[in-house]
Amino acid sequence: MNIRGVFIEDTFAEAFTMRVARLVITGRSSRWAREAALKLTGFATSVIGCKCEAAIERELAEDETPDGRPGFSVLLMTMSKDELPKRLIERVGQTVLTCPTTACFDGMPEAPERVGVGSALRFFGDGFQASKVVGGERFWRIPVMEGEFLVQEKFGMVKGVGGGNFLMLARSADAALEAAEAAVEAMSGRVGVILPFPGGVVRSGSKVGSRRIKSMIASTNDAFCPTLRAVTDTQLPEGVNSVLEIVINGTDAEVLAAAMRAGIDAACRDGIVAITAGNYGGKLGPHHFHLRKIMGGGAQA
Amino acid sequence: MSDGIGARLRKPLQTRADLGAVLGGSWSGLTAAELARRPVLLEGEASVPLGDLFEVKGKPAGRIRFDGDLIKADRLGAGLAEGEVVVDGSVGDETGIGMSGGVIDVHGDAGARTGGAECDARRGMTGGELLVRGGAGPEPGTRMRRGLLVVAGDVASHSGPGMIAGTVIVFGNAGPAPGLWSKRGSIVALGLVEIPPTYRYACTYQPDHLRLTLLRLRKRYGLAVDERYASGFYRRYSGDLADLGRGEILAWTAE
Repeated sequence: MNIRGVFIEDTFAEAFTMRVARLVITGRSSRWAREAALKLTGFATSVIGCKCEAAIERELAEDETPDGRPGFSVLLMTMSKDELPKRLIERVGQTVLTCPTTACFDGMPEAPERVGVGSALRFFGDGFQASKVVGGERFWRIPVMEGEFLVQEKFGMVKGVGGGNFLMLARSADAALEAAEAAVEAMSGRVGVILPFPGGVVRSGSKVGSRRIKSMIASTNDAFCPTLRAVTDTQLPEGVNSVLEIVINGTDAEVLAAAMRAGIDAACRDGIVAITAGNYGGKLGPHHFHLRKIMGGGAQA
Repeated sequence: MSDGIGARLRKPLQTRADLGAVLGGSWSGLTAAELARRPVLLEGEASVPLGDLFEVKGKPAGRIRFDGDLIKADRLGAGLAEGEVVVDGSVGDETGIGMSGGVIDVHGDAGARTGGAECDARRGMTGGELLVRGGAGPEPGTRMRRGLLVVAGDVASHSGPGMIAGTVIVFGNAGPAPGLWSKRGSIVALGLVEIPPTYRYACTYQPDHLRLTLLRLRKRYGLAVDERYASGFYRRYSGDLADLGRGEILAWTAE
């Protein structure tokens, strides 16, 4: 398969089931809501080293938030259901509670499975906290030096998909970056989709394990490193001098596949030789996103 | 989709009527005929079926609408636990007394002790939402433990006496002596309010939770909530310091 002269490899991205929560962070202005959202999603690129993966999903208009203020929705994902409340409590407590003017609401009110967040953070109020039930949902008012921090007691948790990906094999580093930027632009702002890496892009794709250190769970994906072409079992075609990867997480396989389709289509441009994807032979992750099926309009296999 | 049950007053009430047993317990799945058999106590007389006083018809859908001058109808929605009750007009005393869930929406005035507590009860409302789109008599929200009581007009006096928790919002004048003996309740006064001497001023701020509540009232019930209230500043008074003192009066201020 070729798209505008870019070869689409007959392979698939292998993704995993994760647990996901959506947070709606509002503030007096978009600036302060963004500040909290950026801090909350900082250092959350990969569960390998960050314990969770998180990113801003999209900016919300005033009429899309519970309190009618500007806001941002954020998706935070973990590998297990036990990890999710821990990471939420840590991050909301350290980054939203601390941020001027902000409030934090559940963005998945329809999710039947609920995890306590405000119910744990309330103890920061040292006995001075108070709660209000609004529309059947409990919110905690935690007194802070600025005034009060309002946080919802429980947040919805659903199963999501993490680790969707594709790699752009480019003739030059500039071409790879331009294609990655175009792909991120095409994939951003979609409901249910986040790109947790810096600017949505990964330059250091990894393989499972290490050739030398047994305790390492991941190390550089040498088969796709251009500088190692001559000394490793390379998978790079002739003429490829730089590779960038986009990792996509989503609330379900359908939105993730749709985002991949848009991103790959945008990445098919001058300077790109081929598009491929990372997988582990199909033995680790239950979700397989076949590139050619996706680009032909189908969803995952 | 059905509009639910309709109950139209057949002729004006000649004496006070106690409707406290009409919507007690589980009622939202009852047919019109079954509801029409529920008893109404008439002052100085024996009880009569609801159907003798009201024409009851429609299909169950978790809602009932009362139509007619119910100014002599007391205790409507007493102990309400479920469903939505709409009153097209004014009601008598003790509407929604001891309610624990559901919604009562009065498109008129309400009498004394609206959303209050039974005389021998430690708690009044323990849940649900009660809206009075007109004014209310004295002592609304007595010993409220949880829930929301909204009065769009004025309150005669003594809003939320002995509140344990919950919220009373008064769009008009809250009247004298609000929040006496409150433990943790919130009284929100958008109009004039006389702060009792047992309350102490804390600060002037914009409470996020109140904005959340007011916007929900606008969206859910179509209540006209001016933006100056939704995003405005409130003077917070803590009290009642003659009791536990963890309650509050939030008084809107134009400053």
